Amino acid sequence: MSELEQRLLALGRELDVPEPPDVAARVLADIGVARPPFRRRRLVLALAALVLAALLAVLAVPDARSALLRFLHIGGARIELVDDLPEVAGPAELELVLGKRVSLTEARSEAGFDLLELDEEPDGVFLGDRATVWFLYGAPDAVHLLVSQTPGVRIDEPFVLKKLAAAGTRVDAASVRGSPAYFLSGEPHVVMLLDELGEELPESLRLARDVLVWEERGRTVRLEGDLTLDEALELADSLH
Amino acid sequence: MEDRPPTDAALVERARQGDERAFEELVRAHQGIAFRAAHLFTGSAADAEEAVQVGFVKAWGALGRFRPGAEFRPWLLRIVVNEAHNRRRSAQRRESLALRAAFADASGDAVPSPEAATLDREGRQALVDAVNRLDARDRDVLACRYFLELSERETAEVLGVRHGTVKSRTARALQRLRAEVSE
Repeated sequence: MSELEQRLLALGRELDVPEPPDVAARVLADIGVARPPFRRRRLVLALAALVLAALLAVLAVPDARSALLRFLHIGGARIELVDDLPEVAGPAELELVLGKRVSLTEARSEAGFDLLELDEEPDGVFLGDRATVWFLYGAPDAVHLLVSQTPGVRIDEPFVLKKLAAAGTRVDAASVRGSPAYFLSGEPHVVMLLDELGEELPESLRLARDVLVWEERGRTVRLEGDLTLDEALELADSLH
Repeated sequence: MEDRPPTDAALVERARQGDERAFEELVRAHQGIAFRAAHLFTGSAADAEEAVQVGFVKAWGALGRFRPGAEFRPWLLRIVVNEAHNRRRSAQRRESLALRAAFADASGDAVPSPEAATLDREGRQALVDAVNRLDARDRDVLACRYFLELSERETAEVLGVRHGTVKSRTARALQRLRAEVSE
């Protein structure tokens, strides 16, 4: 163990932590009221698993996919599975879609929340609608990776709409630091932003590539790029 | 023959069957480190106490999801630390302030002389300041490893990251800290 590690250990032992209170009686009183952990919980879990299995089964069967319109919600993202994608004229003016170009330092101070960042600094940083902070790696016309963070969006207040081609998109459930996540891969999907009333903003329409989306610390985070699920999870894990 | 106290695994198994007394034993065995963790992450004794109490109640409710054979302590600490984070967020305190508050009155004992005490205090404060200048993820991993003295595996479970991530993040945090304190 290095000297620095020994100093940290010593510091930890010197911390002024108050005497821990005995909470056992209060915990017991609470669990007496809250009872019953297991059977109900297992039932809920079993039901949740059934719903998920049914959803995945539906996604896997082309006929069922084309017959239904389905929604997933995660953080501020509303995901729709549709038969036909809307037409996208061409590559979007990404800089117009993403918002005002700022420096990383400006984004950190203007964002209003602690940004999750990768070790590598982005090539472009943008402040967009709904206080979204975008990190762009690569160039606007050759994007390697796009990371967006939108804070304070309620679960019932979508701001991003994704339309997935029912026939060609795969939806995998995953987990990022314990938060449920979805990985959308396969054919490019359509993404557009929604305004405060939930109306689509047509000028924000663009095609997106594989994306991992999850909700963490009160924000919706998206990682978009040419990524496998493992690579996306690795990147998500290294955000700090 | 000497009666050994039941292990966590045995107590968890009984608690999973609904034995509240077994769970009470788990509470008494782990409330100290749970409070220490919660205090470290909230910087407030009142918030820490609430986080611990709510954390244990949530743990009871979640025992059905506890993986048999897993360790109880990091599993519990993850729940408590999440509660602590929630409380700090709802109080709108910045993360660095939470740690600073926990360190603010750090004091050593058996100090040989006022001069040495000043040096020690300055050295400690410099280290505290350097830790607080790290980003939140690096601070969390150092807090788990050195202030709660958890193993790498326990830290990974508490923070919900991979074991390899704890290793790399710890190495990076130490490197940054070393650069800061040697300046």
